Amino acid sequence: MSEQLAKTPLFEQHVEQGGKIVPFAGFEMPVQYTQGALKEYTAVREGGAGIFDITHMGQVRVSGHEALAFLQFVTTNDVSKLVNGQVQYSALLNDAGTFIDDITTYKISDTEYYLCINAANRLKDVQHLQAQAASFDVNIVDESDDTTLLALQGAAAQAALQPLVDSELENIGYYKFAQLQVAGTSGIISRTGYTGEDGFEIYIPNSIAVDVWEKLLANGAIPIGLAARDMLRTEMGYALYGHEISDAVTPVEAKLMWITKLDKGDFIGKAAVETRKNEGPRKRLIAIKLLGRGIPREHYKVFADGAESGEVTSGMHSPMAGGVALAYVKPEHAENGELSIEIRGKAVAAERTTLPFVRSNVRR
Amino acid sequence: MTIPANLKYTKDHEWVRIEGDIATFGISDHAQEALGDIVFVELPEIGREVNAGEAYAVVESVKAVSDVYAPLAGEVIEVNEELEGEPEKVNTDAYGTGWIAKIKITSDASVELMSDDEYTTFLEE
Repeated sequence: MSEQLAKTPLFEQHVEQGGKIVPFAGFEMPVQYTQGALKEYTAVREGGAGIFDITHMGQVRVSGHEALAFLQFVTTNDVSKLVNGQVQYSALLNDAGTFIDDITTYKISDTEYYLCINAANRLKDVQHLQAQAASFDVNIVDESDDTTLLALQGAAAQAALQPLVDSELENIGYYKFAQLQVAGTSGIISRTGYTGEDGFEIYIPNSIAVDVWEKLLANGAIPIGLAARDMLRTEMGYALYGHEISDAVTPVEAKLMWITKLDKGDFIGKAAVETRKNEGPRKRLIAIKLLGRGIPREHYKVFADGAESGEVTSGMHSPMAGGVALAYVKPEHAENGELSIEIRGKAVAAERTTLPFVRSNVRR
Repeated sequence: MTIPANLKYTKDHEWVRIEGDIATFGISDHAQEALGDIVFVELPEIGREVNAGEAYAVVESVKAVSDVYAPLAGEVIEVNEELEGEPEKVNTDAYGTGWIAKIKITSDASVELMSDDEYTTFLEE
């Protein structure tokens, strides 16, 4: 099946900056720019500001008198705990308790919320939300095609963004957001991200995407491609749909019970998650550091005491931490057993470690 | 991008420098540029016999794992151990300090080798 790839409003800017364009989640996206992934990574980790075009991600507005009740039923986290202007990491599960997607929920008011969803899951998510919405007094609008989403990450992010907006960014706390004027047009800015550094995610209409992009570059931000983005998120141990989470695992396996509130009332997948929790996970996600030489990669086999136990879901060479990986292993090997990772037929010694793999600098 | 005149090249973008019965292998500037930042090089063991066209080393960039193929057949007599600590030399000096291995040529087996001009034309095609 051939599929027409979409371009974001910033496609020409990516090409202009020397972006190496690859197909990603139905879009033509830059995997890296002229400087290369390592320099991009370093700019974000070591005091700079990196700008990421993540317009491929989807946005859905949920409004109506039963918006809260609806979101309590379709998402795993407790939406009633949100105050206006707060963001929450959450998930959509199916009846089997496995992931349809992981999402962020933005509370605008008691009757209006905004969801950010993964690009690859957008159609599936929207269909699911619309089907469930039939039983509630809510309105679901997929705003993805009209919205440009930029992430601006790194210690210098706030300084680069402040001149473009009409209010003090300092007042936006971690996992909080504000609706404000960005380059003269209404947008949403949240202090969120996927890198472990301080920074923002910026939701703006497509019409001002190029203007905002160029202003941020002029303020010292450098463009960052998908390769460095994946390095930054893997070092934090953040789950990525299709890797750590999928419709084959529940939050019990994926270590995401902290966003799954079994005491909040009924929600889709709750019964299945409770069952899994009681019976115990079929496998468990662990963080691994390689002791020998090599780079653990996705799908490499993980062994415990010499017997195959699972496989790597995300792995990388961390400039700061060396070979690191997230992997699913048999439950009995989550804490016990000598680990190794098979790299090109050879067992390379490894050990369990804690997340994040490198220090997080998000503003708590 | 540079393509030195004193080397031979393969269609898989390796280079070889032949001096008597000793051959030095590496990957071309084009190859390192296409791969991006090299973060790991797996070197062959000394004494290993490699066939022409056989994968004798592995280079890993941030996103990809790539085999490196031997242009000629021979016995590995020296490897560039500096790449274990500084794999980025493959990026910064592909034809110099970024060399990968030296072999003693043990037969006349070879993959198709190109001159610098032929390789330039090959890259343009």
